[in-house]
Amino acid sequence: MKKKNICIFVFILIFALGIICSLYLLNSEHGDTVNIIQNGEIIYTIDLSASEDRKIEVEYQGRKNIIQIYNHQICVSDADCPDQTCMKTGYLKSGTIPIVCLPNKLIISYTDDSEVK
Amino acid sequence: MDTKRMTRLALLTSVALIIFIIELHIPNLAPVPGIKLGLANIITVYAMYKYSFGDTALVVFTRILLGTIFSGNISAIFYSIGGSVLCMCGMFLLRRVTDEKYLWISSVIGAVLHNTGQIMVAVVMLKTTAVFSFFPFLLISGCIAGAFTGICAQILCSRINL
Repeated sequence: MKKKNICIFVFILIFALGIICSLYLLNSEHGDTVNIIQNGEIIYTIDLSASEDRKIEVEYQGRKNIIQIYNHQICVSDADCPDQTCMKTGYLKSGTIPIVCLPNKLIISYTDDSEVK
Repeated sequence: MDTKRMTRLALLTSVALIIFIIELHIPNLAPVPGIKLGLANIITVYAMYKYSFGDTALVVFTRILLGTIFSGNISAIFYSIGGSVLCMCGMFLLRRVTDEKYLWISSVIGAVLHNTGQIMVAVVMLKTTAVFSFFPFLLISGCIAGAFTGICAQILCSRINL
């Protein structure tokens, strides 16, 4: 009986930890500057509040991602990777959770320091 | 390796592979990389408790290799292997302290360890720590998916005696 309680306690602990951290991350603040990082290198730094609507094409080993900036928001509009997770993420909203394309090693995230422009 | 054992392991691998291929056609519930139901891990958990560590590793790695070839998503193999190694090591230790009655909780911890391994591989592959912010979401999904596969494996253990 005691062992069963420990099991349930561990389960609830991990679950609660996940939920609390997720809520914290979802509500985090962010600036206006966005970094597009590929394979560990920053290839674009964009100030979203000043940029116009446009499309950026990023290529990695023959595969393409098309990044769209629309109404001062950024998203991946087209990708030819197999899982398409980056497209389903939609617009970049949270300050800490990036848009990630694992097969193409692409990351789009807000910069930590909003003063860097 | 005798023929009987080899046949059993091959059977387990093929069942896991079939589950894996069917799962490919289930759309992802959340737009977070790494979140997956992982139904094929029912077989992993089952094998962990019924066979030796080496046998389980054989089944898992064969399934990952063939699954990658069939799904065509080559980059996923590193994440799968990284997660599986950590998951199997953790469950190997847990198996010593828990019996089949508490299989589900070791499956939950295994799933969370699997996600931890995936994140670690992602940090190395993408050369950034930004992916750590997915970890809380993976904790939640790992809990749910792990509990589900664990309960399935527990039912399997009590009903089938291969």
